[in-house]
Amino acid sequence: MSNWDILWSSYDVFLSGFYNTLKLFGLSAVLAFLMGSAMVFLLEGSRPRLKVPLRIFIDGMRMLPFLILAYLLYYGLPSAGIRMSAWTAGIIALVIYHGAYFAEILRGCRSTFAQGQVEAAIAQGFSQPKMFMRIILPQLILKTRGLLGNQLIILLKDTAFLVIITVRELTAAASSLSSTYFIPMEAFIVVIGFYWLISIGLELFIKMIGRFGAKRGFENA
Amino acid sequence: MDSSAWGLLIQGAWTTLWISGISIAIGVVMGLLIALLRVAKIPVLHQLLGVYISLARATPLVTLVLFIFLTAPTMGVNLNRNVAGIIALTLNTTAFNAEIWRSAFNNFSKEQREAALAIGMTPWVYFRRIMLPQITITSLPGLVNEMSFLIKGSPAIAVIGVVDLTRVTNRISAVTYDPLPPILAAAVLYMLIISLLVWLQRLAERKASRLAV
Amino acid sequence: MPETAAVSIRNLSKSFDGTEVLRDVSLEVQPGEVVSILGSSGSGKSTLLRCINWLEQPDRGDIRIAGDRIGVSDTGKPMSRRELAGMRARLGMVFQGFNLWPHLSVLRNVTEAPIHVQGLSKAEADERAMALLEKVGMADKREQYPYTLSGGQKQRVAIARALAMQPKVMLFDEPTSALDPELVGEVLGVIKDLSKEGYTMVLVTHEMEFARAVSDQVVFLDKGIIIEKSHPSEFFENPKTDRVRRFLELEAPAV
Repeated sequence: MSNWDILWSSYDVFLSGFYNTLKLFGLSAVLAFLMGSAMVFLLEGSRPRLKVPLRIFIDGMRMLPFLILAYLLYYGLPSAGIRMSAWTAGIIALVIYHGAYFAEILRGCRSTFAQGQVEAAIAQGFSQPKMFMRIILPQLILKTRGLLGNQLIILLKDTAFLVIITVRELTAAASSLSSTYFIPMEAFIVVIGFYWLISIGLELFIKMIGRFGAKRGFENA
Repeated sequence: MDSSAWGLLIQGAWTTLWISGISIAIGVVMGLLIALLRVAKIPVLHQLLGVYISLARATPLVTLVLFIFLTAPTMGVNLNRNVAGIIALTLNTTAFNAEIWRSAFNNFSKEQREAALAIGMTPWVYFRRIMLPQITITSLPGLVNEMSFLIKGSPAIAVIGVVDLTRVTNRISAVTYDPLPPILAAAVLYMLIISLLVWLQRLAERKASRLAV
Repeated sequence: MPETAAVSIRNLSKSFDGTEVLRDVSLEVQPGEVVSILGSSGSGKSTLLRCINWLEQPDRGDIRIAGDRIGVSDTGKPMSRRELAGMRARLGMVFQGFNLWPHLSVLRNVTEAPIHVQGLSKAEADERAMALLEKVGMADKREQYPYTLSGGQKQRVAIARALAMQPKVMLFDEPTSALDPELVGEVLGVIKDLSKEGYTMVLVTHEMEFARAVSDQVVFLDKGIIIEKSHPSEFFENPKTDRVRRFLELEAPAV
């Protein structure tokens, strides 16, 4: 039996790893984006109350490695009496960490908007949340799609760190297969191929948004 | 945390710094070489390098480190953990740096080349004296930013047992049974390192903006 | 026997993507002469200038600088990069967009080629550069970087940079077209001084009054063909063709 046959016979291990990685990625991408948008919404208005704490939080996260945050939640918090599973700790770490990055991307773009748009919306009687959802956020997404796409790919790659805190995701699958059958080369080639596929898929998705944006004159990301 | 714990932590920080430092140094130069080869658009090589860059950017560092460390012995090469870590970090950062250099090349003005050729410079003198110094300045903010990313990704080498600033916290808490303090202390040290790089990046940006005439 | 022409262009033709930009153009520029090339935009005048130092390669014809052919070596093969660089060093070129090198100070912009192409020592190059910066009135700005200068100042530095190679011929490609009107005068003043000092110059310009004042010969290009070549007084007062008459009427300053 060749090494590839051995791998094929345990395709279910890959599939469950792949599925777990997708689940980690999908769930935390959505939540992190919501969190980032919410933070930018809280920064709306001329004198937002939460400006300073949010600034500190966002900059703080951007100066930390993702893994140290995961360590903090999984290994550190139990000594403060807070215990959670590796899976939960992993998702929370991904959401908090990438939420801050999403917030920074959107905030940077928001600060370049002309005031006139907001005034026009207020003049028409939009409420603050409605204006944010209907006027600001759609433009932010179109304008920052390239950066958002990059961030999604970084998020995808950060899920692999969770193998270190014992989450059973895709890289963990390769690692366990390669130690069971001692075929690291083949196992990792398959797994890297999976990551590559998802990344290319994400890039295509961003291009699609780009075509949608180009029609509306949002040429440059 | 006692002084021996701090001592271990500093050792971990040093490991993170020197391993990342070597990878950054190689990665910046290799990135430039690859960008040059890509700009030259040599058939086949151009496509091969394109695939390398696309793959390296899509592969998580943890996965890459494991792949290199576990695969090398099957090909008869016994890699020391540190070397495996350096190779993985370098393969990763080189791909990002190559794209930073390449975009600086592509955005470089054609007019300056004409001015240099018109005054009698050979293409090589033009490259060395006019283009490279400016491309270096315009790429620098991006390169420093990528250095921050590399440091933030460097804990990946913990997965093969390199005792870096992240993994050293396990080692300390194995003795003290209290993981929270060393993890917080490591976080502070990471913040110091990254904030230094962010500060350097601002300096580089200020310098680069002066070239935008 | 007449002395060798500073620039001698014979039967030059050039097309871009099938469109002929220059058709069988011939022109001689004698040492010390100032030649202005006029024509409406798209007439091929910039292309002609850029062929002289081989920034554009003509399809047919040849160009000689003080008797030596540029672009093609004696053996008939294309010149090596090094040979070509050597020929170009004998021609100074001033561009519409200045094209200063932003990473170098004013002084270093001027000394860069003398040091790294001609192999002058830094001291020699500095001395030569300072004399030229003095001449164009930019000596006090020598330590500044291009981004701090106005367009007119940039162009004066660019002229000093070209002169620093001690070229046989100076080529000016619409040197004032990118300038605000109030800055045109200072640049034209410098070029005029050079003409009085006996520099050989070929000038593509839109400044009619200026061309009239400094030129020894005016050449009019239309659709890639030289249709008139004469002394400025005759060209401006007594044009031979309807085409030039129409052009002059349109370009005449609206007084």
